[in-house]
Amino acid sequence: MAGEAETSRQSQEEEDAGLYERWVQESMQNPERVYNGLFYVVTLFFLVTMMFPFYWLLVLALTPNEQIANMGLLPRGFNVEAFVRIFELLPFGRFVFNSIFLALLTTAIVLLLASLAGYVFGRLEFPGRQPLMLLILAISYFPPAAFLLPLFDLFTGNVVIPLGPVAIQSPVLFNTPGAMILPFSSLFMPLSIFILTTFYAQIPDGLEDAARVEGTTRIGALFRVIMPLSAPGVATAGILTFIAVYNEFFFSFLMNDGQAQNWAPIVWGILGYQGQYTQFYNLMAAASIVGVLPVVILVVIAQERIVSGLTAGALKE
Amino acid sequence: MSLASVVSQPANWTERLNETQFAYLMLVPVFLLLGVIAIWPLLSTFRMSLFADNLTSAATVGEFVGLQNYVELLSGQREPVLPRPFFDISQPFRSALLVTLIFAVVSVLLETLLGFAAALVLDQEFRGRRWFRVALILPWAVPIVIQGMIFYLMFAPGIGFATDPLNNLGIFGATPLTNSFDSLVIIVIADVWKTTAFMTLLILAGLQSIDRSLYEVGRVSGASKWQQFKMITLPLVLPAVLVAMLFRSINAMRVFGLIETVSDCGTVPSLSCMVVQTFSSGRYGTSAAIAFLTAAIIGGAVMIYIVQFARGQAEVI
Repeated sequence: MAGEAETSRQSQEEEDAGLYERWVQESMQNPERVYNGLFYVVTLFFLVTMMFPFYWLLVLALTPNEQIANMGLLPRGFNVEAFVRIFELLPFGRFVFNSIFLALLTTAIVLLLASLAGYVFGRLEFPGRQPLMLLILAISYFPPAAFLLPLFDLFTGNVVIPLGPVAIQSPVLFNTPGAMILPFSSLFMPLSIFILTTFYAQIPDGLEDAARVEGTTRIGALFRVIMPLSAPGVATAGILTFIAVYNEFFFSFLMNDGQAQNWAPIVWGILGYQGQYTQFYNLMAAASIVGVLPVVILVVIAQERIVSGLTAGALKE
Repeated sequence: MSLASVVSQPANWTERLNETQFAYLMLVPVFLLLGVIAIWPLLSTFRMSLFADNLTSAATVGEFVGLQNYVELLSGQREPVLPRPFFDISQPFRSALLVTLIFAVVSVLLETLLGFAAALVLDQEFRGRRWFRVALILPWAVPIVIQGMIFYLMFAPGIGFATDPLNNLGIFGATPLTNSFDSLVIIVIADVWKTTAFMTLLILAGLQSIDRSLYEVGRVSGASKWQQFKMITLPLVLPAVLVAMLFRSINAMRVFGLIETVSDCGTVPSLSCMVVQTFSSGRYGTSAAIAFLTAAIIGGAVMIYIVQFARGQAEVI
């Protein structure tokens, strides 16, 4: 309180001084206040810029389409019909289902395989450990485009696999979940391997030994002792993989023909509205809101896990 | 023989292996997947890049031409058959290599600055910190196709609130999404919106690993907050910032889906765009060469990182 009184007296004395000069004077005498002010300005800036795009989607989705022209920042009306129409014009529900199905299946495969690798890298000492980890790291940073041509040939049955005397054609996986799940798995597995390696390495040897004494095999100990004890790490790896697959564009776009019944994921649901219903901006916005909901819910529920996973995974690497 | 012992038989067999044999056995599934879906395609892409395009017969590529594809791409001789130039200094916003590099450098620099600011905010204790963090992470979790749709809906002519004012100010043209420079700016903004959170979390992890007693020492010796930031925070957090920048640059070099949704590959021709375009027109040799050049640039960055930082990191871990 004393400080406030002092400031007001000083500002009275400096009545002649310009506004800016007075502000500088006060700031120099009380830098704490400037930092606090700056803190709130920066915080507000981030909140507004990060949230505004979501708000804009809502504005467009709620405005009847014929009124969408030179929009201001407020919705014109309250029209929830768009959220019904998007499921009628295209099988949007099926696109969302496909995405969630592909993401869940990929997550299961990644968690299983990355658990084996995480156990090996986190708990065993063997020659070649470091180079193999570097190889996995290196693979994860190649662009998807560098895998595209051979994988496309492989999945469309154009690669001949020599098996001794006979040669067989590769199975046609294009337009099936396999053509996407396989690239997703190998693309996103490295991050899970690094997260699980960190977590599995932290389980004390004693707990594993105790299980082994009771007759459990090494693999049994992994799935019955180490994995349950590392539940937060497994959850983190699982959530990050799920989000990564749900968000993926490249292979989701190129490894199917865009038909919902051919396992095309949400990428094609959204692009479908952009391509076929070019004037229906409210539908594009409504579809985007519905499509983003699953990950929004996941982030709100699991933000702690996401934060720890992103930082742990990256720092380990 | 009981059912249980039959089931446990293979596991018993693995118990007789020594640690190294067991480690390699456990890694078989992981490397089987990575081998078929990542390593073989990479090598195969490289092999394809050494062959000429074949647009006449059924075979995917023509005769062996060595490094000719690379030479012609980099020297500009291949330009007539490409949708956009690969490297042309006179039109930087329309040549693939330059667009990709400009996009990567500008967006990563902006993300670093903003990410640093957001990390400094999150490093404080304040009410609502948890929700601030959710707001920051949400854009990161948005699927690429929806991220693209949001920014398409912001700048599409006739509906976006920003298009007309920006056009009147002379910053953007009337249809920014068909102008190479305007679109590049919008795509950079979209990327910054989505991925600043990733930067923030990595830099925050670096900030929180700083020993707080250093600031105590700083305060006692009379250093201002700015001096504390410059002398303590900045140098100590720099390694984390550099790692985060590297990860982001690698990812930015792959940009494709965002361009495809917001604008199109003809307007903002990134490297990945050009791989897909040449691939669609059947020019497999050229496509593979561009894909491998992209991979080589990214691989070069990773190698520099591993050589420069891995030693320093190994001491820390």
